[in-house]
Amino acid sequence: MTDKPPISKFISRVLVRNLTLIIFVSLLIVFRYFTTRPIYKNGDTVRITATILTDPVSYPGSQGLKVAGLTVYLPTFPEVSYGDGIVVEGIVDEGKLKNAKLISVSGNRSFGSFARNKIIFFYQKVLPQPMSGLTAGITLGSKGTLTSDFWNRVKFTGVAHVVVASGTNVTFVVSFLMGVLTLILPRKKAILFVIVGIILYLFLSGFDAPLVRAAIMAVLTFWAVETGRLVDAWRVLLLTGGIMLIIQPDWLGDIGFALSFVSTASIMLLEKRIAKWLRPVPGVLREGLSTSLAAQVGVAPILFVTFGRFNIWSPIINALVLWTIPYIMVLGSVGGVVGLMFPFLGKMILWLSYPLNWWFVKVVYLFG
Amino acid sequence: MKSWKYIFAVLLLMLATVTIALFEVPDGNLHVIACNVGLGDAILITYGKTQILTDGGPDKSVLSCLGKYMPFWDRQVELVISTHPDADHSTGLTDVIRNYQIGEILINPIDPGTTVYEVLKKEVGGRGVPIINPQEGMRLGVGLMYLDILNPSVELYNKLIVKNMSDKMAKYQISRETNLYSIVYRLSFKNFSGFFPGDIPPEVSNRLSIESSVKGVDYIKIPHHGSVNGLTENLLKALMPKIAVISVGKNMWNFPRPEILDMLGKYGVKVFRTDEVGDVEVITDGTKYWVKSKKDS
Repeated sequence: MTDKPPISKFISRVLVRNLTLIIFVSLLIVFRYFTTRPIYKNGDTVRITATILTDPVSYPGSQGLKVAGLTVYLPTFPEVSYGDGIVVEGIVDEGKLKNAKLISVSGNRSFGSFARNKIIFFYQKVLPQPMSGLTAGITLGSKGTLTSDFWNRVKFTGVAHVVVASGTNVTFVVSFLMGVLTLILPRKKAILFVIVGIILYLFLSGFDAPLVRAAIMAVLTFWAVETGRLVDAWRVLLLTGGIMLIIQPDWLGDIGFALSFVSTASIMLLEKRIAKWLRPVPGVLREGLSTSLAAQVGVAPILFVTFGRFNIWSPIINALVLWTIPYIMVLGSVGGVVGLMFPFLGKMILWLSYPLNWWFVKVVYLFG
Repeated sequence: MKSWKYIFAVLLLMLATVTIALFEVPDGNLHVIACNVGLGDAILITYGKTQILTDGGPDKSVLSCLGKYMPFWDRQVELVISTHPDADHSTGLTDVIRNYQIGEILINPIDPGTTVYEVLKKEVGGRGVPIINPQEGMRLGVGLMYLDILNPSVELYNKLIVKNMSDKMAKYQISRETNLYSIVYRLSFKNFSGFFPGDIPPEVSNRLSIESSVKGVDYIKIPHHGSVNGLTENLLKALMPKIAVISVGKNMWNFPRPEILDMLGKYGVKVFRTDEVGDVEVITDGTKYWVKSKKDS
């Protein structure tokens, strides 16, 4: 672990060793991608029955959501939310569903989304906006809790990726927990704790697909990093990502998928190196910093290209706020769960996260 | 064991929370804030740890305003006033009720049969928020603040169809002219006074202008976002305010209308618009008052 080859040489070595695997998996993905294209085309009137898997965004007078790869705008009422089963009808037009009509809504079914809504409600009771929305966004990927004003600023400043259930937050936390827990516990126990914790977390967050795949990718990869050789970890990451794409080729165009994959890779590549430079920083803080900085290097180019406007300050803003994510997420999920049973205790834990939320919000408002 | 490091981190966070809390301790002044909620109204009045919220705007952005002007540990709004059931005034109130503990709600017993109102009614009923119905001549005291209710008058209700007399949010059915029923009140705090007329139409403006209880004020919230279908010169002359606040956002009716702005200019009233300066915060110690507003802060 001490003697590291230069990064470029290292990457090429990884690529060469896994060449056959990469080619084989890529071919399979391409084949699957072209055989599973959606059957509708522009101008078709369609009726879609789906479960809402991302949080609707609220605008004055309307709410926006995604079903079956199409963007749909519906009137504010009746409210639909994460986990609802809905039937909508409209005309397909360039990735949008025009003249969309809500035919029916059925409420949340799974326990996961029930607990999730309870926790989001608890955040809103304890913390003011936009801090409660931010905590809900970072911890549970709930975009619907954000006020539209804050959501616009978050998009403008280029930090939207942490609140849109893209899965990068999960990648951060897995890496963070692995790092912190292996410091204080024996390795095997630490990994077990992380896995159990993440499964509990997924349960609460309602098994949102981006979170699940980010969790699987990150847990398997960092597990391999902690126990075996780095090169094996790369094979694990390539395989997990590849298999997911073979099963679900639509994820090829899913920005959240790209983000979790790339951030996992870049944490693996750079985290230890960055941690070395950060040696003067105290332990708990260093782990959060090195993780988020490492992920950022890989993620930044994707964000520039895809998340709205190009903001020249975005890398600086990200550097200023991203270190708070693992702490907000850990305090947020623990505070939320505890709060369901002991509201006062939960409130105290959430109040501990208030300065971090406060900092995040102030930075976003300063640059937004 | 390195556990002392974690204890240290927790202590540091506690210290940070307490520090922020100290900065958010309210001063001894009254603050009247017209929240920048776009086209719609949401006006927050705070004094110490007591808050009165008049209307909630068209969406949940009112929550950012409450979060900004209330200390983070204060999760109770003592009085919520819903001047009338139009969507641009009452949609956000649903979110306020979901997010905050509400002391009481002052609301008209008129049911417009809209989904927005239905959802609001369900939230108020489901949480058992105490309901007060307004009546002309009523005086409400909240801390050192006094609210004199000037509209609606009892006669106004006689025009409506009775729906359910035991339902404090739906005694009467209403289909149009909801503005006519806007709750209008005069706020007094020591020597400072303000006039909050909701969306009243000219006929109510004129009626109020000849009432003895309507006298000089320091502050007015311009009715109906600066529509000509609101403030009249008679009412302006009766009130002679020093500061006028217009709560308005992008709209297709050209609000605030030049007629209204000219009228205010003619009487030398200083105008502040939420679409130009964002939140408009007027602060008073009960005698002096000053305006604090910063674009997008």
